Amino acid sequence: MAAADSPSTALQRRDLCSRGIRLAGKMRADVVDLLDAYVEQQGLDASASMAVVEGVPLAAVERWDEQTGTQRLLENLAAYRAFRALLAQMLEEQREQLGEADTGLGRALAAVLLQVSAFAYHLEELLRLESRGIPGEEEEEEDGPPPPPRLSLFEQKLRGLGVLRELAQWAVRSARDLRQLAKPSPATGTAPGLAENP
Amino acid sequence: DSHIQYERVGADVTMKCGSMDWDAAVTWTANGTDIDESHLNGSYLVLKNVDLSQSGQYSCYEGSSWHLKYQTSLRVGTPPKEPVLMCRSNNYPKGFYCSWHLPTPTYIPNTFNISVIHGTKDMVCEKDATPKNRCHIRYLQLFSTVKYKVTLTVTNPLGKNFTTLTFDEFAIVKPDPPESVVAKPVPNNPRRLEVSWQNPSSWPDPESFPLKFFLRYRPLILDQWQHVELSDGTSHTITDAYAGKEYIIQVAAKDNDIGTWSDWSVAVHATPWTEEPKHLTTEAQITETTSASTSSFMAPPTTKICDKGAVVGSGAVAVCWTAGLVVAAYSVLFI
Repeated sequence: MAAADSPSTALQRRDLCSRGIRLAGKMRADVVDLLDAYVEQQGLDASASMAVVEGVPLAAVERWDEQTGTQRLLENLAAYRAFRALLAQMLEEQREQLGEADTGLGRALAAVLLQVSAFAYHLEELLRLESRGIPGEEEEEEDGPPPPPRLSLFEQKLRGLGVLRELAQWAVRSARDLRQLAKPSPATGTAPGLAENP
Repeated sequence: DSHIQYERVGADVTMKCGSMDWDAAVTWTANGTDIDESHLNGSYLVLKNVDLSQSGQYSCYEGSSWHLKYQTSLRVGTPPKEPVLMCRSNNYPKGFYCSWHLPTPTYIPNTFNISVIHGTKDMVCEKDATPKNRCHIRYLQLFSTVKYKVTLTVTNPLGKNFTTLTFDEFAIVKPDPPESVVAKPVPNNPRRLEVSWQNPSSWPDPESFPLKFFLRYRPLILDQWQHVELSDGTSHTITDAYAGKEYIIQVAAKDNDIGTWSDWSVAVHATPWTEEPKHLTTEAQITETTSASTSSFMAPPTTKICDKGAVVGSGAVAVCWTAGLVVAAYSVLFI
């Protein structure tokens, strides 16, 4: 049902969106720096084209402009939750490789992980505002995914590169998504696409 | 039967007079002018080391009957060098365009063929009506990390060449320069200039894809630019202009998050507000101080009233009182 926003809801949404846009901007800048450091430290070629890395949410989307607000929020949330797990795994792998030594790369990874978690929470706030149920973290799949096979060190590095590249794209996409969300709808006053689809 | 014959610059060209025997008596003309017999080998026309000026209509006539036996249009040219290709998105997120040209002319007709691949997907680049050497593509996907590969092949009757560009979606984003840049003096403010501009009209959605701007300005008499980066808004007030100096001002634009800066806008000129020199017409003694590069006037000691914002002093700070008002002191730097 399409209900017009109360003025306070509209204001809260705009505020959450503005803060989210700033978060996404800062996150992107940090991910780009982390990407440079990662490539250097892991001895990788930054310009190498890569096959799609399994399990990494792709930012690429068709008909982006036609997405509803709810779709945007849900897709973003799913992505950042996945990145949270992927970055935690990367951090773990780093520690396994280098022991407990406190490395710059490790700290940068941890900082980005924190931002990703914060952004995921921010998206949940936006969904709450729309009185949307927040999907559970563990998707209720009939058969859960099998545990991923143990990757070689090189495969780990490549996957890390894929993760960070896609995260950088997502950070740009998220800022755009939030700007779309923050636009007032001309007729009803609701944000575009947040009304329930018939 | 008319023919067209393409030959490279510097080549040796032999033309046969159709089916005439080698020892037949013939006359060759080039663009209607008889060709000297020294260029003939029997009935064959031999042109050595041809150059561009030898392009034209060549005709062969049978001996005395003057029947036209053969005609060909000789076009002297060169095979194409590697073309220059550029792709850019000035209308993000709608799509991008690619344009191309040859670094040197070939003097003969060329055909251009462009292919665009995104990952494994072939995309169609629709040719623009004008300019002819341009085509555009709509983005089917946004935020993709998969690179685009554009290959341009140029072919002409003498050869073929190609070039390839590989880039990602964000890298080619470059808006057009801001439009309608206007700079105006601010009344009663000798050091201010108000600058305003508009988003380039080719940028489809500045609300969702906001632009940021870079302003540069300098007095005409100086070479050094001053720069201001503005993250939003399409206006800015310069507050440190040199009084009385004509300024040149330009603005550039960039997507807030991705891509590169536009070219600079068309330059606009403006001079900050200066007070009308009314005192020149009064009986009071006016000392008009001029220097090589600036003009200002000093209020005479007997003047009791001066307008707010009047510029005083020659490198010194002075205070000008108006009834009931304290006017801020200016220091005017001489150049």
